Amino acid sequence: MADAPGEAAPTSSSKDPSSFLSEIHGAPITVKLNSGVEYKGELQSVDGYMNIALENTEEYVNGERKNRYGDVFIRGNNVLYISADK
Amino acid sequence: MTSQILPLELVDKCVGSKIWVVMKSEKEFSGTLVGFDDYVNMVLEDVTEYDAGEQIKLKKILLNGNNICMLIPGGFGQEGA
Amino acid sequence: MADTENGTSAVAEPLDLVRLSLDEVVFVKLRGDRELRGRLHAYDSHCNLVLGEVEETIYVVDEDDDDTIRTVKKNSEMLFVRGDSVVIIATTT
Repeated sequence: MADAPGEAAPTSSSKDPSSFLSEIHGAPITVKLNSGVEYKGELQSVDGYMNIALENTEEYVNGERKNRYGDVFIRGNNVLYISADK
Repeated sequence: MTSQILPLELVDKCVGSKIWVVMKSEKEFSGTLVGFDDYVNMVLEDVTEYDAGEQIKLKKILLNGNNICMLIPGGFGQEGA
Repeated sequence: MADTENGTSAVAEPLDLVRLSLDEVVFVKLRGDRELRGRLHAYDSHCNLVLGEVEETIYVVDEDDDDTIRTVKKNSEMLFVRGDSVVIIATTT
């Protein structure tokens, strides 16, 4: 973890990637891959490679829903970002 | 000599302020830097994703550091591009 | 810590999802517009996979026919997938 100095004042409840991940655990999220394909689902878990397990997942290609899956494992090297749905 | 600053120290100074992220591909992000780790995976807030003239608003994201090319402190860059 | 043995249903880390799919039919999306459906016999931390009774679907652009998308299907008794080409692994229900 890149350590922020003690006096750094984070403007939000999460100040680094791992606390963001614990914050969105179980919540609906969107995962965008480098290919542009998006997966929307509930976050089950993430590891250090950014491998992701999603539940009740929908697949979107060019903004259109293409597929529904129960559980999906996403290999981390394909991940562009993880976005909290709000 | 003593004024040497590590690259990640510069990134750390940006925590809490606007930052511009240029990816290796034709894609850019701007937003408030919330935090980052040693791989420069970054948590960004109030994000705009710029891709091929398209703008996508995102509340809060974890951006994979793997595909980042360049970071520019401040929210400037390609306003209206 | 992650559950290390078979039989537990918790997904403490993403690869646990793959472990829970052992001996089940899974759907695998690969780089290069390929998809596989088959029974998962083995996997490792790189996502190298061994699948049995596999149906492979390849999506190809048909340049002779106005660039329409054409699918090619192939069947294999068993095949090995190198992990770096894996994009997603989905359970089939």
